[in-house]
Amino acid sequence: MSTGQVTKRAKYKTSVKDPGTPGLLRMNERKLSFSPHDPASATKLDVEFIHIKGHKHTKEGSNKPPWLNLPHDQGGSYIFEFESFADLHKLHKQFVIGGVLTELEFWATRKKLLDGDSNRKLKQRVGFKSTMILDTKPMADGRTNKVTFNLTPEIKYQIFVLKPAVHRAFLNLVPNKMTEKDFFTKYFKAEYLLSSKNAVAAAAEAAEDDELAIFLKDDDILAQEARRKIRRVDPTLDMEADQGDDYTHLPDHGIFRDGSKEISESQHEQYKRTLSQDLNRQGAVVLEGRTLDMDLEDPRTVAEALVRSRQESDGDATQERLERISRMTEIEDLQAPHDHPFAPLCIKDPRDYFDAQQANALKTLDDIRSKTEQTKCNLSIDEAYGSLRDSVSKIMTMGLSDPIVKPEVALMVLNGLTQNISGTRYQLGKNPQESILDGLPKTTKDELLHHWMSIQELLRHFWSSYPITTTSLHTKVSRLKDAMSQIYRHLEEIKESVQSDFRHQVSLLVRPMHQALDAAFQHYDADQQKRSSTRIGESPNGYV
Amino acid sequence: MAPAPSKLYADDVSLLMVLLDTNPLFWTSSYLPFSNFLSHVLSFLNSILLLNQLNQVVVIATGYNHCDYVFDSSLATNQGSENGRMPALCYDLLQKLEEFLVKDEQLHKEGSEKGLASSLLSGSLSMALCCILFYDLDICTASLCLIFRRFFDQGHSIHNPGYVAIMNSIFSAQRSMVPIDSCYIGSNNSAFLQQASYITGGVYLKPQQLDGLFQYLSTVFATDLHSRTFLQLPKSVGVDFRASCFCHKKTIDMGYICSVCLSIFCKHHKKCSTCGSVFGQAQSDNESASNLKR
Amino acid sequence: MPQVKIIAKNFMDMVASLPAMKLDNLYSNAFICEAILRSLPPLAKKYVLQMLCIEAPVSAKSMEEWVLADGSTKHKVAIDRLLQLRLLTENVDRKRETTYRLNPVLQSNLQKLLVCGEVLPREPMPTNVIGKLPSLENLEDFAVEQWECFLLQLINSSQAERPSNISSSTMKVFQRGLLSQREKEAPRLTESGFQFLLMDTNAQLWYIIREYISNSEERGIDPSDLISFLLELSFHVTGEAYNINSLTEVQSSTIKDLADLGLVKLQQGRKESWFIPTKLATNLSMSLTDSSSRKQGFVVVETNFRLYAYSTSKLHCEILRLFARVEYQLPNLIVGAITKESLYNAFENGITADQASCIPWLFYIISFLQQNAHPRVSERIPSVPENVTDQIRLWEADLNRIEMNPAYLYDEFPSREVFESACDFAREWNGLLWEDSKKMRLMVKAEVHTNMREFLRRAKQ
Repeated sequence: MSTGQVTKRAKYKTSVKDPGTPGLLRMNERKLSFSPHDPASATKLDVEFIHIKGHKHTKEGSNKPPWLNLPHDQGGSYIFEFESFADLHKLHKQFVIGGVLTELEFWATRKKLLDGDSNRKLKQRVGFKSTMILDTKPMADGRTNKVTFNLTPEIKYQIFVLKPAVHRAFLNLVPNKMTEKDFFTKYFKAEYLLSSKNAVAAAAEAAEDDELAIFLKDDDILAQEARRKIRRVDPTLDMEADQGDDYTHLPDHGIFRDGSKEISESQHEQYKRTLSQDLNRQGAVVLEGRTLDMDLEDPRTVAEALVRSRQESDGDATQERLERISRMTEIEDLQAPHDHPFAPLCIKDPRDYFDAQQANALKTLDDIRSKTEQTKCNLSIDEAYGSLRDSVSKIMTMGLSDPIVKPEVALMVLNGLTQNISGTRYQLGKNPQESILDGLPKTTKDELLHHWMSIQELLRHFWSSYPITTTSLHTKVSRLKDAMSQIYRHLEEIKESVQSDFRHQVSLLVRPMHQALDAAFQHYDADQQKRSSTRIGESPNGYV
Repeated sequence: MAPAPSKLYADDVSLLMVLLDTNPLFWTSSYLPFSNFLSHVLSFLNSILLLNQLNQVVVIATGYNHCDYVFDSSLATNQGSENGRMPALCYDLLQKLEEFLVKDEQLHKEGSEKGLASSLLSGSLSMALCCILFYDLDICTASLCLIFRRFFDQGHSIHNPGYVAIMNSIFSAQRSMVPIDSCYIGSNNSAFLQQASYITGGVYLKPQQLDGLFQYLSTVFATDLHSRTFLQLPKSVGVDFRASCFCHKKTIDMGYICSVCLSIFCKHHKKCSTCGSVFGQAQSDNESASNLKR
Repeated sequence: MPQVKIIAKNFMDMVASLPAMKLDNLYSNAFICEAILRSLPPLAKKYVLQMLCIEAPVSAKSMEEWVLADGSTKHKVAIDRLLQLRLLTENVDRKRETTYRLNPVLQSNLQKLLVCGEVLPREPMPTNVIGKLPSLENLEDFAVEQWECFLLQLINSSQAERPSNISSSTMKVFQRGLLSQREKEAPRLTESGFQFLLMDTNAQLWYIIREYISNSEERGIDPSDLISFLLELSFHVTGEAYNINSLTEVQSSTIKDLADLGLVKLQQGRKESWFIPTKLATNLSMSLTDSSSRKQGFVVVETNFRLYAYSTSKLHCEILRLFARVEYQLPNLIVGAITKESLYNAFENGITADQASCIPWLFYIISFLQQNAHPRVSERIPSVPENVTDQIRLWEADLNRIEMNPAYLYDEFPSREVFESACDFAREWNGLLWEDSKKMRLMVKAEVHTNMREFLRRAKQ
């Protein structure tokens, strides 16, 4: 955490009874801020610590969820409730402090909990600079007539992107005809001439020097593109490409770069540039985003890479950009609502599952005990079809049975259903379908749940240790096995000690746990055996 | 401001898809004769249509060899009754059902032993969902009602490859927010139907009193979706969440699960039959690929 | 907020207000049972269905078990409705437990419906007698035309024009309450007439039918006969021809009136004459008013108060003119604007004697705009821009700056003590409107007057 910032998921409460708003709590040395998950929620916080008068928090290991209570100088207090890991804490105490697992091993399976929040920082790419490179100003030292332009790789890159014609010229001329240095000297000479607004001088220079003329002239690639764009759009609607580029060629139109505005002879028109043109180009490039992600040191490679990326992106990128723009500019009023019906992802409480399984185990037993339904059919399939068809024709001739249902039966059914409903609503005691777990004494129930959780944890570690490749894994597995056999014995004890009324249920609950443990033991033994036999054979140290 | 009055009673229009079990094998051993069963169900369908003239009922029969639409109230032409003995719609339905049975038997004779010894639930479920999507573009009023005699997840299930298909259609029903109500006529509970109703928020019901079937249907399943939001309907406790393994379709508590595609197997396999991942060779090493699941 | 007076949606309220004897008689007709069942709120339908086969009384408590906490009002509404219509009878047994039992006549009728199906109210005439029947489209056009003609006449007669093919006596019956005629003045739309025009077709139909039925006694016709005939009519098949000779005298005179409204089309053959029910008639028993059968909307209201109505109907134009300024009328488009003046015009139009209940005005205007919203805007919520509805509400509130309360003035109190205790008493009853402690006078709402008088009499002693 180099920034000194702590980010935690928390619930923000204004008072003790407030159910709380879930969100992210960020704290650094100066201040704390809270942003709710629900962007529509109004409970955003941004508080400097100067306003905080003190802090209280719940004790570690207490049953209450961890709270941080920060009273502030306005008399109230900010309360944050962090995610509760009471179960985790218990497990940690049992296994890590009990020496079954090391700290590292315990947390290895929970990496997500530890760095879920800090990891979410995206690697952000540096965007295209929004300062205008066209404004790269010469520095005059004041004494001589020399002007200096400062040129960095970044600026070179920007020049290439902004001015396709210069880019093209660079590719053509460097290094065959001139050096890179000469090239940029020429470029800036042209820039200097333009910025000095001396169109006549510029024209004169351009006549003498072909290469210089390239820089002085309007960028023909851009001009072509602009024309293409203009042709493509409906001039009345699309604000993205109005004829701004074109208007500037009309006299008295547009602000000239560097503020001044002068009217000069039209034959030198091409040596002038307007601010709006530059701004538009800059804006377009910034919107396009950076297409290159590479070292900018060597301008030649940059220039070439740029050519490649342009070719790739030309087709679909413009299409995509157009779509994006049309999405942004669509008139909200006239659109159909965007929300589609969705089914929320629903993750079941594992306890629910655990419970249900036991109930089912019990039910299956009952089912077996009660008369099993006859699955064998006593008719051949042809006879079966015949009897069905008979039933259909019977009902066609006889009509529906009248009365549909005998009144007594109907009442009985309705009463039965009503009873079922009031049963599920109030969880009345004698409901046979009630969860077994809830019927047990609380201590037994808690113990069972805790053991179940421990077994889960241990088994997870156990199975993930296979195949055993290192000595440490080997020792870990044997430690785990010892811990598991301890729990196994505990479970046995619970089964013995529980009152006879519950013994059947408890044994049903315990059985799958024992089965799971047995499977682990069996695997351990088999592996151990195999290992000892191979060790005698070839590999002297056993671990490959 | 008072709500727009036009919405007053318009909430209870429903589209009801009914899937009927017409597998002949299942009805022969039943203590509820098929004709009685039909009589209850037909009265139930009538009552749905009686409640609101915009209500719509579609019936799909699920047979031994194929499944098909046997009734669609939007296509039924004339109201009124046939000889005053029964509503015309019942007559239509029964006629169609008879044709359906004849065709089913024919298919059986042609394919002799190839037929499946269980109902084609996945097929009829998919048909029902298609039909709902066809009729019910924007109003969420559709519900599915399965009335099944027996189901293959107990006992005689070994030959049915439909598990994945059924689960998939159940999940698509969940996605399109169509509740599946299921009425199961048999002595054991059907885990499949229980799961289907549980996942989609429908009601699972196993009538105790078979001669009161109509009462069950009309009390519970005739409740329109709007009213369900403020009514308590029978909830089944102890839904069997156990999965069936992909290899033998046995319901299992514990099994092997492919770490790549989450397919479930009751025995160790060398290769996942669904995605083809290889699980490792030796018995002792395979747990790295497949884990025990409770 | 004052009670919003909404014209009854369907005439089940009216049915419910019939005397018990007649109500019970109604249920002997299976069609009426079906129509009434369909008119019930969903929960009430469910209750009827689940008690359909039960003959023993069912305890109220067991029915409440099914209802979740937030459904309790719906449950109450449903039960009240069922009791009102005498579909359920309530009993309190010795243990003070309330039980319900379904009306046995209705029960057996409904059961028969389920088992045997419907019997058509009368057989359609064979086609060889009639020749060619009008197609369903023609019939629908006929119905719409008749209906719009009737509505236009309402508006136009309020502007003192009189093109008519509806007999003036029936017209009078239908128009009762919708138009007011003062001496030497052209008839004007009343407030309810105005509301009426803005309702959807089905609600209008119900309103007219209700008026028609409630006037029946003056014409010497038993309302319950009329009700059962109208309901029966709704179970005829649209587009089939039925012999008029099969009708009773009352019925055949009624059917002529209904033909004027477009509910049935009358045709004359060589020997016999017959009537053909249109959609308007067969939809009568629909509890659900419009949402499914509703015609496509046509109005777009913009946030700048402009209003575009894509309609060729003259009626629509006239209706819009009631509250908006129509600016252009193109062949298929009416462009208008909702302005303060146009709305005041509307309010003025309708406000007659009954000043107190002018709140529904804006309610009807807004709901008209909402219900007829063009499909392009109807999916949006709200379909009429909020600023427009708010502004209409504000304009309307502008007119209602004065609130009138009938009151009593008390003065000449014998002592300050009595005066103050009287003030306290009035305050306790929430009836004190004004007090002047200097002159010892106070103003009390009329409804508290009797209590107040009692109090003062006691104070005197």
